[in-house]
Amino acid sequence: MSVHKMLAALAGGVALTALLSVGGAGTAQAQGVACPVKIGGILPLTGSMAPITKKIAESAQLAVEHINAGGGVKGCPVQLVLRDDQGQPTVGVDAAKYLVEVERVPAITGTISSGVTGPIIASVTAPSRVVQISCCSTASAFTLDGRSQGYFFRTLPTSKTQAFATASEIAKRGLKKTAIIYVNTDFGIDMTRFVKEALPKLGGEITAEVAYNDNQPSYRAEVQRALAARPESLLLIGFPKDAVTIVREWLSLGGSPKIALNNSMRVKDFVDGVGARFLNEAFGMDNAQVQGPTVDAFNQAFLAKFGYDSQGPGVHTQYDAVMAIGLAMNIAKDLTGPSIKDAVRQIHAAGGATVGTGPDEFRKAVGLIREGKAIKYHGATGPLEFDANGDVTGPALVWKITNGEILVDYTISIEEMQALFKKVEG
Amino acid sequence: MIGLVSYLVFFLCIVLILGVITLGLNLQWGSTGLFNAGIVGFYAIGAYTHAIVTAAPKAGMIANMGLPWIAGVVAAMAATALVAWIVGLATIRLRGDYLAVATFGIATTIQLLTHNLEPLTGGSHGFSGIPRPLFDVLGSPFAFNLFYLGLLACVVALVYWALERMVRSPWGRVLRAIREDETAAVALGKSATRFRLEAFVVGSTLMGLAGALYVSFIGFVSPFDFVPILTFQIWAMVIIGGSGNNRGALLGALVVWTIWAATGIAVTKFVPVAYAAQGGAVQVILIGLLLVLALLFRPRGLIGEAAQVSRHAEKG
Amino acid sequence: MLGQAIADGVLTGAIIALGAIGVSFGLQILRFANFAHSELLTWGAYIALVVVAFAGPGTPTGPLSFGWQMMAAMAVAAVLTGLLAWVMDQLVFRRLRNQGAHPLSLVFAAFGAALVMRYVVVLIWGPGTHFYTRELQFAVEVLPGIRMLPDQIFVLALTLAVVVALHLFLTYSRTGMAMRAMAESPALAKVCGVNVEGVTRWTWILSGALAAVAGTFLGLSPQVHPEMGFSLLLSLFAAAILGGAGSLPGAVIGGLLVGLAENVSVLFVDPGYKGAMPFLLLLAVLFVRPQGLFGEKQ
Repeated sequence: MSVHKMLAALAGGVALTALLSVGGAGTAQAQGVACPVKIGGILPLTGSMAPITKKIAESAQLAVEHINAGGGVKGCPVQLVLRDDQGQPTVGVDAAKYLVEVERVPAITGTISSGVTGPIIASVTAPSRVVQISCCSTASAFTLDGRSQGYFFRTLPTSKTQAFATASEIAKRGLKKTAIIYVNTDFGIDMTRFVKEALPKLGGEITAEVAYNDNQPSYRAEVQRALAARPESLLLIGFPKDAVTIVREWLSLGGSPKIALNNSMRVKDFVDGVGARFLNEAFGMDNAQVQGPTVDAFNQAFLAKFGYDSQGPGVHTQYDAVMAIGLAMNIAKDLTGPSIKDAVRQIHAAGGATVGTGPDEFRKAVGLIREGKAIKYHGATGPLEFDANGDVTGPALVWKITNGEILVDYTISIEEMQALFKKVEG
Repeated sequence: MIGLVSYLVFFLCIVLILGVITLGLNLQWGSTGLFNAGIVGFYAIGAYTHAIVTAAPKAGMIANMGLPWIAGVVAAMAATALVAWIVGLATIRLRGDYLAVATFGIATTIQLLTHNLEPLTGGSHGFSGIPRPLFDVLGSPFAFNLFYLGLLACVVALVYWALERMVRSPWGRVLRAIREDETAAVALGKSATRFRLEAFVVGSTLMGLAGALYVSFIGFVSPFDFVPILTFQIWAMVIIGGSGNNRGALLGALVVWTIWAATGIAVTKFVPVAYAAQGGAVQVILIGLLLVLALLFRPRGLIGEAAQVSRHAEKG
Repeated sequence: MLGQAIADGVLTGAIIALGAIGVSFGLQILRFANFAHSELLTWGAYIALVVVAFAGPGTPTGPLSFGWQMMAAMAVAAVLTGLLAWVMDQLVFRRLRNQGAHPLSLVFAAFGAALVMRYVVVLIWGPGTHFYTRELQFAVEVLPGIRMLPDQIFVLALTLAVVVALHLFLTYSRTGMAMRAMAESPALAKVCGVNVEGVTRWTWILSGALAAVAGTFLGLSPQVHPEMGFSLLLSLFAAAILGGAGSLPGAVIGGLLVGLAENVSVLFVDPGYKGAMPFLLLLAVLFVRPQGLFGEKQ
């Protein structure tokens, strides 16, 4: 082996990459931008998150179709270049770098695992001034410590909203002693921290906090530990696959059927997995107003396109992430990261004309933007509003399960949420 | 075109960082026959030590020191060496595959520690705000990546040169002698355990160095960086490149990582989004097959061990 | 609390033990660490799933959540997974052995094979979860303060029966004796006229069949998914090595100890560290007895 061979191998790799990256040649021009307009996407299509990612990827694709049917971006059709991060940070960072440098995308949507989103922000999108909107990463550090320089947004509300609503509902139902079992990730830890802050102030007591690591064959040990102090109810914070095992083990070991659940469990797979008849006293929270005409329109479009419902973690927020990029690109004066970043904040202009989900609404929005009018986007998760950190906060809702149907019990309005925040935080 | 160059610079940086790990593993496996299945554990120690030593103090993180980059690198290597020495003392006598399982377990334990010791490591939120050398001075990400590529090239050249000298030295010959025939080596009065332990510590230290180089390139680290599949990838690199040969180890890093990235791009280009999950599965199946086929049809890798090192052994 | 944790540990341990027997045979008779063994558990569970999909889980028999169809599915899975293991050997490992490859090369080949097998499952059945039965059982108090499910008691009894049958097979049948001879000394066994290829074939088939039974049990509590075997991999190896490679009682006791370590430790330390327990136990044992509890000195 010589240096020559090594260089030859390297050249081969370069040629291969170059060959693969000229696929999008043959561009046309419209309104001063090159067609098609590319949006980057990074999602864990394989790996342990793959089961929930399928619908999320489909949702992103649906949003792109709606954008294209509604006039595209500045007269150009939009193309989603979707890469797999495999749930592995190095793979995700490589994919992001490829999208930014080779595909030249000015905006990326992704990804799910905070452990992958974090390094992408730090080493690719923020330094290269590319907008990144995530459907699903919750770790608070991204937006709060300023590393994202304003280029990172997420369409899922912060854990705090959901946690406070959960604590409030548990207290309202008169459940004094609650055990928490939570997934040992940034999401589970944040949720537990906020519930712990709120519940004692609202008149509840936490008897145990048990963390669990995902993908274990059994959680009897964790369940036993949570059961030790004989709690009246369980708060389970996690993801459907392991949650099915935990709830079944909890119930069969004599745990109370009064189970509070987080938003990820608001899916049919979870209810079917546990068995609907065991969940009639279970209830859950979801943040954001996952109802209203624009939400229904999205749900119907999804069902019509794929033949199954749109329930599942991240499906609605992913649609909004792509739509937000599409709208912001139309508003932005040019398709560079900094312009799109500023435009993202203009999709929810105060007093703007309401635009919703689906191709017709997108067309309406494009028309308004062209006339120089302000818009306010109501998405698949209801009205979307980014705060100074690029996070969204919103109203919450309480759902329950009756004979296997997941029903909305009632909603907690944004005013009630603010009152709740005040009560807890003083 | 500038975009492609920029991507390749970034890509090569990752390859060189992985190359430092493969060089370390090659010393352990290729030269000494030690089956270290806990690569990610040592890589993690280096990465987190560097992060803690160099990151500026901030609320919620109890140990951040804010020291210069080079201090972080030295500390990362020292900490990894210390841990490897302790682990080695406990496990180096085990037979090959037991050592593999034991080191795998240690890597799992280290990963759980990074996950659970939140005040020290940031836990599952990750550790952000790790300084990158001269990042602000250089201005653009491209300039930084280019600078870092140069830095990495120097580090890899230095490590390569040092390893080449080591394996050709009497010390290196003893390692190979132990690998080929332990009984004979022991009969000649060499303490097999001591030499093995030394190779294990030196190789692991390089993995720690790679961890430091990685975090100061990316600027963020979390427990997800240390999943077991990375160990598998590194092994595939050394086996496909050719174990026992340092150039083979580097070539393996380049080839395997290129395949990993290129198949990802190919899936994006040629597989419809609706089938992307299946495309991803096919990608992993291909990598697995490649490893099996390499072992079956090219067991010495792309470039095997140079024959003169063990010229009395059977020519293969 | 402690009593319950021990009961749970024994149950987890029983499933681990069934899987660990195959790993243990692999280490001693086939002389390599078969990292693809965990995928045989997954395949066994999915094959049983296919049978159940056709035949249905059956009407629950007595207190159990499933009927005889489930048992039939498990039997079919055991046979087919045994064959699958043998095919894997023919395709990959036998060729490597014949090439005189380094024993650790077989380990890497197993790594590669495991990846292929796991993702073929994803390709065929998708990345999501499946269930054999949607029945949910309630635990009965078998001893004061100790609750178990009827299914779990059944699994324990069946595991015991399988282990006893295996013990009889190894002690009295010709093939069983040949396997033990191979485990003790392959060279000697060869000299004594043991059919090495035959023993190897039976070892693979038996390991595969036991893995399928373990996988089906694992799927009963309560779901089947592509990573189910992989998530148990380290426990299996810890159990096999802990007990001493090649020893049937060693693998069983190793399995039980690992199950207990996982379940009892949660009472005393943060459950976040549960995954590390099998190893800490393994390291402690290896430090004192490098050949494992029941292993022969090399």
